Amino acid sequence: MVRKSFFLATAASLLLAVTAANAANLIVGSSTEPSSIDPQFSRTGNNQNIAMQVFDRLLETDTTIGIHPALAVSWTNIDPLTWHVKLREGVKFHDGSPLTAEDVMFSLTRAKNIPNSPAPFSGNVASIDSMKALDDLTIEFKTKKPTPDFIEQVGFVYIVSKKAAETATIEDFNSGKAAIGTGAYKFTSWTPGDNVTLTRNDAFWGKAQDFDKVTIKFISNDASRVAALRSGSVDLIDAVPPGDVKTITATSGLQVYSIPSARLIYLALDTARDQSPFVTDKAGKPLEKNPLKDKKVRVALSQLINRQLIIDRILDGSGEAAGQLVPGGVAGNDESIEAAAYKPEEAKKALADAGYPEGFGITLHTSNDRFPGDSEVAQALGQMFARGGLKVNGVVAQPYNVYTKAASAQEFSAFIFSLGNSTPTSATGLRNLLMTNNKEAGTGSFNRTRYSDPVFDGMMNEAMAEFDPEQRIQLLQQATKYVFADMPVLPLYWQKVHWAGKANITYDANMTEDTSATLAKLVK
Amino acid sequence: MTVFVIRRLMQSMAVLLVTAFVVFLGVYAIGDPVEMLISPDASPAERAQVIASLGLDQPLWQQFFTFAWNAIHGDLGRSFVFNRPTISLIFERLPATLELTFTALVIALAIGIPLGLISGLKPNSKTDEAIMTGSILGFSLPSFWQGMMLIMIFSVWLGWLPSTGRGELGSFLGLQSSLFSIDGLTHLILPAVNLCLFKLALVIRLTRTGVRETMPLDFVKFARAKGISERRIVFVHVLKNILIPLITVIGMELGSMLAFAVVTETIFAWPGIGKLLIDSIMRLDRPVVVAYLLVIVSLFILINFVVDILYSLIDPRVRLGDAQ
Repeated sequence: MVRKSFFLATAASLLLAVTAANAANLIVGSSTEPSSIDPQFSRTGNNQNIAMQVFDRLLETDTTIGIHPALAVSWTNIDPLTWHVKLREGVKFHDGSPLTAEDVMFSLTRAKNIPNSPAPFSGNVASIDSMKALDDLTIEFKTKKPTPDFIEQVGFVYIVSKKAAETATIEDFNSGKAAIGTGAYKFTSWTPGDNVTLTRNDAFWGKAQDFDKVTIKFISNDASRVAALRSGSVDLIDAVPPGDVKTITATSGLQVYSIPSARLIYLALDTARDQSPFVTDKAGKPLEKNPLKDKKVRVALSQLINRQLIIDRILDGSGEAAGQLVPGGVAGNDESIEAAAYKPEEAKKALADAGYPEGFGITLHTSNDRFPGDSEVAQALGQMFARGGLKVNGVVAQPYNVYTKAASAQEFSAFIFSLGNSTPTSATGLRNLLMTNNKEAGTGSFNRTRYSDPVFDGMMNEAMAEFDPEQRIQLLQQATKYVFADMPVLPLYWQKVHWAGKANITYDANMTEDTSATLAKLVK
Repeated sequence: MTVFVIRRLMQSMAVLLVTAFVVFLGVYAIGDPVEMLISPDASPAERAQVIASLGLDQPLWQQFFTFAWNAIHGDLGRSFVFNRPTISLIFERLPATLELTFTALVIALAIGIPLGLISGLKPNSKTDEAIMTGSILGFSLPSFWQGMMLIMIFSVWLGWLPSTGRGELGSFLGLQSSLFSIDGLTHLILPAVNLCLFKLALVIRLTRTGVRETMPLDFVKFARAKGISERRIVFVHVLKNILIPLITVIGMELGSMLAFAVVTETIFAWPGIGKLLIDSIMRLDRPVVVAYLLVIVSLFILINFVVDILYSLIDPRVRLGDAQ
């Protein structure tokens, strides 16, 4: 009997010890996995999620992509081609060495030359002509041409330690040898396909972190990730499928954190060509004239879409109807532009006015594995267009890897795509999506429909050359208003993104879709 | 035997060459990896830089020639996504899949053969019917659904077993595996059970059929007449005879379990090669897909070779083609 109670007591104290230890640890179930620990290897979201916990940048963003000083405390524009950037004092790398101007200049140079990098930061440092350390913590930059958003460009490159990274290979980063940053957590290990582990950096310059140890487990399957949270084996998960949000909210001990992200889902229309491959007359024969070139038709199509119905019924509420590129809160959003209202009768009249009283035939294309509900949304659009008198010849869904190539090769007439905005203003997104596709000018790299409007290009060039931040945002708003009145693409909705965690964890839902322990807090 | 081995080797080389060619062309026909890899705010200059650094600006024949030339020298290329040699990516994850597959196989055989024997020796009895009905479940439940159910029951409701990941690795004789630590074993149970259920049903049915076919044969009657014990007849003479079809099927299934445990690995976030393959196809990481399939074809060739050798060991009537 004595022995039994002794055993029970030991078991109980062990259990307590385990719980206490767990309290300061965080286990995250993440839908994505990095491809490398080198923070400059790829700037796609999955890599940034890990990089931002171990490394810092000159700037950091808040939940609505507003910028704040991080490793840089100030940046001053001396003349149109010269910038002085002042670094934060007293910042130490994980190996104890101090951060100096040398490390920053080394990092910005290194960003251009990462071997075989599939998504390099080279664009962020392309404007730099030369740089010079004025003292240990001040750098003078000369740019090739006037670059008003200079700090927004270089500010997002991760700063590595010159000493650790100078001769390091990608393997040195992956093993942890060269993964020396200034960030809130120190890198411990990466088991590909399984997990990354981090420990708290007690010498961190910013806010003290709540967790001693962080484990990020990679669980790509949605249902498994949710099950892992419900079974208690992870504390926090990202990319909660919209369909599970209700169930999780209703489960006691679990909580959901949501925000409409800056990812716009839109319907791209073939506006540039005289004939379009998937537009036909009612009998299915190719049309002489491409109706999508006509603004009246595009506006009418937009009015045929009941955005709120799609959001409510297909996305379980996980969306916000959109009428422009970036949502409210992100610089460049113009509050006066609303999502097109659902007006089927007016749309039918407008189609008749435009010369299509009987409508025309169209085939919609979509991916089926890119974001929640992509193929269902396309089917709903098909039905809504059919209700408006169009003859929908088909809704074709393809896997994303096949689909993107065809979409970029202009093989479709009307297709659904998404654009995730991760920059502080709408400028980059507008430049890539809607400005004329021009390699030399560096514009329109994702302008898959080859839409082109010289007036809009002019407005954008003026906005991007403006040094006064407020003035620049006003100019961006004017350009946005101008271009979306022409409906070059039909904005559908901004995707809502969700995180879910145990009740003792809070999480800062953010528009950039970042999953990072630095955004999680322990409820005390 | 020697002739057999040499001939087999030559056939294998030809198979590998054809596979490389077909897979390379097939993989290169779908999609554009640059679209998948670059960041959504990339400029045209960055895109051009990526295309050049991955060698995608070269014509297809040149890409294939470079690949084949390097492959002959033992280099199967570097992953677009990870910028690491594809071979090390694959072999880094192979142990996880091996331990999962072999555990599943051992469970399937250890439970399947005895159950099959019981069924076959007492056909149409209550026990036989129960076992056969059970095996129908094993056949017909979709692996994906079955995996989710296992997680719901044993992780979410009962809380007995962890739902995902490989757990802590133990080490034994220098080998690192989940098999050698308690935490690892608890992580292994659910995925292994999920993977084995189909094979288990298959083994039961094959064994039962084999027993029912063999029992009425003359040599069994003769052995009985000689007064050999029933136990020896079943476990030595009959079992040996039914092993041939069993080994054939298990060999083939082993290969497909190794290569395509994708569903199980995805549900249980098991860091094996099946998951690597599906991720690589999704991301159009062409070098990994090609290298993976070449490794798998080699593995199949090896397994078939072992199966042929096993035949000749179990059944002395099988000759390995030396005589011709």
